Amino acid sequence: MKQSTIIVYITLAVLIAAAFLTGGRALVAEGLIISANTAYKSAVMLIASFIITGQLNVLLTMDVLERWLEKFSGLKAVLVSSLAGGLFPGGPYIYYPFVFGFKDKNLPLYILISFLFGKQVYDFARLPMEITLVGWDLTLIRYLITLPIPILAGLWTKRFFGSKDTFNHMTKAGGKDDSNNNHS
Amino acid sequence: MTQTTIILSLAGLILIIINAKKTGRHYEGLKSGLKQLINATPLIIGAFLLAGIIEVLIPGEFVQNWLSKEAGIRGVVLGSLGGMLLAIGPYAFFPVVSSIWATGAGLGTLVSLIAGWCLLNLSRMSYEAAFFGVKFFVFKLIFSIPFSLAAGFIAYFLEAALL
Repeated sequence: MKQSTIIVYITLAVLIAAAFLTGGRALVAEGLIISANTAYKSAVMLIASFIITGQLNVLLTMDVLERWLEKFSGLKAVLVSSLAGGLFPGGPYIYYPFVFGFKDKNLPLYILISFLFGKQVYDFARLPMEITLVGWDLTLIRYLITLPIPILAGLWTKRFFGSKDTFNHMTKAGGKDDSNNNHS
Repeated sequence: MTQTTIILSLAGLILIIINAKKTGRHYEGLKSGLKQLINATPLIIGAFLLAGIIEVLIPGEFVQNWLSKEAGIRGVVLGSLGGMLLAIGPYAFFPVVSSIWATGAGLGTLVSLIAGWCLLNLSRMSYEAAFFGVKFFVFKLIFSIPFSLAAGFIAYFLEAALL
């Protein structure tokens, strides 16, 4: 998050300078008024969003989701792992190590692909934030359009690699070494 | 907006009740949410400021030529590329999307932008390559590019046909 904050404030400084140079104080003030209005309108919604995120973090533990991933196969596994991905709490520094933890469990690659795509596309903990900041209509359209992506990704991986080809096989070309370096 | 606030507040309340009954860890959930809110506040403030400035700074001509419904394929491709390059978290990303929408960007561009950010985000690519290796990273990237563009094209055709 620190990195994002730094990027945002550096970009902000550059854009404020650009706005000042093109439109003077009036343009900068206009932008800041828009910002203040948006912040004022979204404040309560943002608090509600964080309450939802906090409760989901506690309700959905890694153990529950891990059991789901190991329980099913075929289309049912694709659907469940996509959903599990969407429900999985936390950022990339949590879910990538979680997926990497399945390396030695011989889980088919398509289940893990569905999970990863599910996390990135659905991420239900992010949903209240998305609704708050971009509105119901765009969020709904976006979810409906991207809804099949994790399922299609899982099914196509199954078609290309089959059920036997495990995640371990796919990552043995360097992932293990890379990760060892990463943790050292 | 009031309706959204009520629905989200009710959803939060229902989750607290479920958590209290099922796990008894609802206070822990509230603390977790509060902690995340406190950590994210400087970023959210910066993102709101950024969004407001972007909204007044993007020239109408640029929106018309590159981001609007009329921009067509260009808007969709630019959206996915923008999503890939906007390597920032959701608290910063969605206010930026909102400001781009307010300037008059087309639905195809916006959906492509969000899909590109979800699937192609540069900051996440480094995790993928580090944890799973180059082979997996390339495989997932090859899968993700057409999905991101397809989402944008579907939204573009939907807007052209229905809206």
